[in-house]
Amino acid sequence: MSSPETLTFMELAIQQAKLALDVLEVPVGCVIVEDGKVIASGRNRTTQTRNATRHAEMEAVDVLLGQWQKHGLSMSEVAEKFSNCSLYVTCEPCIMCASALSILGIKEVFYGCSNDKFGGCGSILSLHLSNTTPLNNEVSPGKCFKCTGGIMASEAVLLFRTFYEQGNPNVTDMVISHGLRICATVAFWAG
Amino acid sequence: MMDQCLVVHIPDKQPHDLHHQPTESVFASAIDPKHANQIVRRLNQIAPLEDLRHVKRIQKKVLEGGQIELLVILCLAHEGNNQLDNMPPLLQELISSHQLSPFITKVCKYAATSKEEWQEQCKFWPTSYHPRTYNIDGITGFSEEDSQSVLKFMQSAVEMATSDGMVVNAAVIVDPSAKQIISSACDQIFSWNTCKDNNCYRKPELSSSHPISSSRCNPHEPLHSNSSSNQLKQSYTDVACLYPRQWTEQQSHSQSSYYWHPLRHAAIVAIESSAARDRYLFSSEGNSEDRYLELDSDNSSWTSSPAKRQKTVCANGEDDDRLNAHSQTSDQPLARPYLCTGYDIYLVWEPCAMCAMALVHQRIRRIFYAFPNPNAGALGSVHRLQGEKSLNHHYAVFRVLLPEEALHKCHT
Repeated sequence: MSSPETLTFMELAIQQAKLALDVLEVPVGCVIVEDGKVIASGRNRTTQTRNATRHAEMEAVDVLLGQWQKHGLSMSEVAEKFSNCSLYVTCEPCIMCASALSILGIKEVFYGCSNDKFGGCGSILSLHLSNTTPLNNEVSPGKCFKCTGGIMASEAVLLFRTFYEQGNPNVTDMVISHGLRICATVAFWAG
Repeated sequence: MMDQCLVVHIPDKQPHDLHHQPTESVFASAIDPKHANQIVRRLNQIAPLEDLRHVKRIQKKVLEGGQIELLVILCLAHEGNNQLDNMPPLLQELISSHQLSPFITKVCKYAATSKEEWQEQCKFWPTSYHPRTYNIDGITGFSEEDSQSVLKFMQSAVEMATSDGMVVNAAVIVDPSAKQIISSACDQIFSWNTCKDNNCYRKPELSSSHPISSSRCNPHEPLHSNSSSNQLKQSYTDVACLYPRQWTEQQSHSQSSYYWHPLRHAAIVAIESSAARDRYLFSSEGNSEDRYLELDSDNSSWTSSPAKRQKTVCANGEDDDRLNAHSQTSDQPLARPYLCTGYDIYLVWEPCAMCAMALVHQRIRRIFYAFPNPNAGALGSVHRLQGEKSLNHHYAVFRVLLPEEALHKCHT
């Protein structure tokens, strides 16, 4: 069973997802936590930016990188910081985000629903394990992180469903890009 | 070099998968040939094989003595659920009325993509094979003209990748129908906006991804005045997709570096820049055509006046309010492409998983890379995203065979 603390943080991530929903973005949200405190949050902004890589995780990471550099932290210090951070996100990070999180070397990830089409933390690839041995003693391409799914998954799915039922044709394809198994959407896309 | 240009398609699957094709367990049964039509028709109604359309429902076996046996697939035998009792009632009815004796057998899970695969599949249970009817240009080969064009764009990527006297990755997004560069960028891990070199004076903004403004200036290493091949023949540790964790090794903090970012790999920055262009070109209905023409004329000279083009494409970084006001009317003069649909990207190195997936999200049509990435490559070396069936978009991947010396003779 998830700890009360975990649920509290996931609740905050859900709130971020709701903000995304309010502006017709695919509802995914996240918070990043260091020493029991939320230090950054993010929500999906793919439609607004016309940039399909602007997932909630990327938004939150950018906030942190900006903050830490403003405080004069060096790269190695920032790497150290990330290794003490946990991410709470409403949907399993996609392959891109999971890879990004292992490049940053985040400590731990908690997610809501799984991402059956694009998930990079077990569903399609397992980039959080990234135990491919580096060749010729080279630097490892990514760092492993602990990953726990299924936290408040039904709430996360409900947001996706609400989003889809709004039926905004402009964003239908974006739904797909987040890997929702909504048959009607798939039919639209395939047709 | 032009004559030796070779563009090789990197297939969705590794060839050795041939003998290890994923299979699925199914219930099958021998049937009386006299009832074959009736049974198959009924099965298609009550137990269609939705995800196994490539698998033939029925197979004919010639037994010893020339006797013919017909076998039919009844339904999937799910793992941990392989009891006959769990079959749908209608199916159980059919089984008992025809006195069938179901058994479990294996069929291939995915449709064959080559004749060789198909032949292997049929050793389990016959499947149908349809040579791919959709074709992304180039899979079946390039014309002389097309490969010249591919080489030209790849060379411009290589030029960017080596333009600082050090070697990084570079990305060039191209609209192949117009042979027009949409955006381009180098890795921007160590310095995004500024550096001590006065060439890099630009203020921080989304659009700083032009070859010149984006050229990476590592404050920790002085720019070399000459690019001897000795200096360039380092181990490419600055190429972000090759060594994504290299950034953590940087101890010192440079005051002169305005902003650095471990995730600003070339492909990510190029995508960002193409999105900025999209927002700019389609930010308002009224004058989008004029802007497009202006852009177009600049593009004819993109190599000679990058600054001008930069200004044109990206003068308007974010204008989301206007974007939102943009309505979808039918008399729009210029069709707004959906993200990078129809576009190609040229990368000097095979991208890592982050970049390769970003290119799926942004709907790139074809990826060309020159050098494989054995450490972290996601298009054949470590992973093979183009073969992940679950993804909603699939690009075609090509390797442009360049000699490694190409990295060393651009800027001498």
